[in-house]
Amino acid sequence: MATKEKIQTAYIDYVLTEGKKPNSVFSFAKKNKFPEEEFYKYFSSFDAIELQVWSSLFITTISEVKAQEIWETYSVREKALSFFYTFFELLKSKRSFVSYSMGNFKKGLHTPNQLKESKEVFEDFSKELINEGLESGEINERKFISNKYKDALWLQLAFLLNFWIKDNSAGFEKTDEAIEKGINVTFDLFQRSPIDNLLDYGKFLAQNAGFKMEF
Amino acid sequence: MKEQNSIPASKVARSAKFVGTGFKIGGNYIKHYSKKMFNPELSRDELNEDNAADIYGSLSQLKGSALKVAQMLSMDKNILPKAYVDRFSMSQYNAPPLSGPLIMQTFKKNFGKTPDKIFDKFDLKSTNAASIGQVHKAELNGEKLAVKIQYPGVGDSISSDLKMVKPFAFRLLGMSEKELEIYMKEVEERLVEETDYELEVQNSIKISEACANIPNLVFPRYYKKLSGPRIITMSWLEGLHLKEFLATNPSQETRNKIGQALWDFYNFQQHELRAVHADPHPGNFLITPEGNLGIIDFGCIKELPDSFYYPFFSTTSTNLMNNREETIKAFRALEMILPNDSEKQIDFYHQAYKEMITLFAQPYIKGEFDFSKPDFFDALYSFGEKISKMPEFKQARGVKHFIYVNRTNFGLYNILNELGASVKTDTYKPHVKDTF
Repeated sequence: MATKEKIQTAYIDYVLTEGKKPNSVFSFAKKNKFPEEEFYKYFSSFDAIELQVWSSLFITTISEVKAQEIWETYSVREKALSFFYTFFELLKSKRSFVSYSMGNFKKGLHTPNQLKESKEVFEDFSKELINEGLESGEINERKFISNKYKDALWLQLAFLLNFWIKDNSAGFEKTDEAIEKGINVTFDLFQRSPIDNLLDYGKFLAQNAGFKMEF
Repeated sequence: MKEQNSIPASKVARSAKFVGTGFKIGGNYIKHYSKKMFNPELSRDELNEDNAADIYGSLSQLKGSALKVAQMLSMDKNILPKAYVDRFSMSQYNAPPLSGPLIMQTFKKNFGKTPDKIFDKFDLKSTNAASIGQVHKAELNGEKLAVKIQYPGVGDSISSDLKMVKPFAFRLLGMSEKELEIYMKEVEERLVEETDYELEVQNSIKISEACANIPNLVFPRYYKKLSGPRIITMSWLEGLHLKEFLATNPSQETRNKIGQALWDFYNFQQHELRAVHADPHPGNFLITPEGNLGIIDFGCIKELPDSFYYPFFSTTSTNLMNNREETIKAFRALEMILPNDSEKQIDFYHQAYKEMITLFAQPYIKGEFDFSKPDFFDALYSFGEKISKMPEFKQARGVKHFIYVNRTNFGLYNILNELGASVKTDTYKPHVKDTF
């Protein structure tokens, strides 16, 4: 009997050794000595396997960070940082696969197919954080823009993934730096800033000053 | 304390920071000269102050080695105008801390465990910042601990940081790039060593054991097992920093006691160990409630090779200084007089260096020296100022070892001056030779 995990492991093993996908589900099943229909019980295609490997990385990270004792005491910014550090720590164990899979990402601005499901998982998590931040006032509510905050975090993730793949520093220390700096900047932008106050003041003047300024 | 919100990320961003400073300084000059058109009396003090503030602003946002350079510049009060010094002194204290999750991450990488699994108690908010790391309070088996954590990527950014500091160093010191090169290399070597926390633990244990018999000195205990490439764990020393200590109006007796401990600590290292804690900035010392001197940072150790030690410290002996021929030999060994110098130049430099060293060696001449008197320091500063204006000293002279040895001894003198201490200077005497 082939289990879901076994098929997944066999597939990763195959692509990393051969550098490409198996020719068919049939040949893959035969090689690993299980009937072809076993495969379809769990996955509709090879792509579906990759999709799941990715999304399980996200799901594992999220449950891991939330299980930390310290989690509840973290600010939203720290929660995001904690996610990213843990995510890239986990990714280390699958670096070859990540590198292989990212090599097959379609170029362009669209979310790669392999990450479709992961993106949903990550966005749910981001929304959770952002809502918490909006409630506590750590993140500033801005009309039209607040809905886009989650996209900013996703972009950060995409950037960091690419950074990490090219990172040659010992222990991926540079990635740690990139996370620390990048996420902090992102959350600085989410925060209430002098620009917000300026706009607010402008609005107040427009509504209440009631006179034309004569220069 | 506010946590730092943005550290310029890449080398490009860091350079941009410095370019920005360059513009600002340019602006300060314009401001200065336009004011001067109307008021010819205007001194350069205001200009210097504006510049210092801008340089400090950009350096402190960069953290790491750039901050270190700022600290170093501020040690050499004699070569920098006062305004620069006052600003740079600020950098000797706090730099903003890093985030909690990054601390967790660093622990996981070093020990595979989070700090709460290692210690009974661990305070995620740092108590203070060292230039390349920050310090946290922790507790294990009832003992209070200080845990020093290094910022990630500091080691890698040193050489690129130094490259960016260079143009400013040229302008501040008025030296050419080629001359500055060997000194910059020496600084780079020391800074890289300073990021090696494993080496620091070794040094700390070695030096604190060697200095165990010096009275009124205390060292923290270091825990090798709880230390790693990015983390150092040591016992927590209770105490006040120099400024805080002075604010309590200590008695002259206490000041002298602390000053004596400091003098002994440095001179024992220089003359007996021949390796010296070369970072005497006030942040590295604590005065404990019992009135002892605590030493808390062994990041920067300068070894003194014999080829430097003997000619340099022998000049503190009047026997040698009264013998012109041998003195010149010693100066040659130290590259203060160069092989191509003409007779006239040899005369000039011999005279000038003799004056400088006689001044520098004053505390050694008699068995006791009162560092609280301003005369000595005024003489030092005004001599430094005089020299900085002499065209003969535009070119850098002297072997590379001077940087850290001067920094150490001027640093020591400065701290003793701030303490207002009078100390016995013959406790650990230099070993001298009269002929070379």
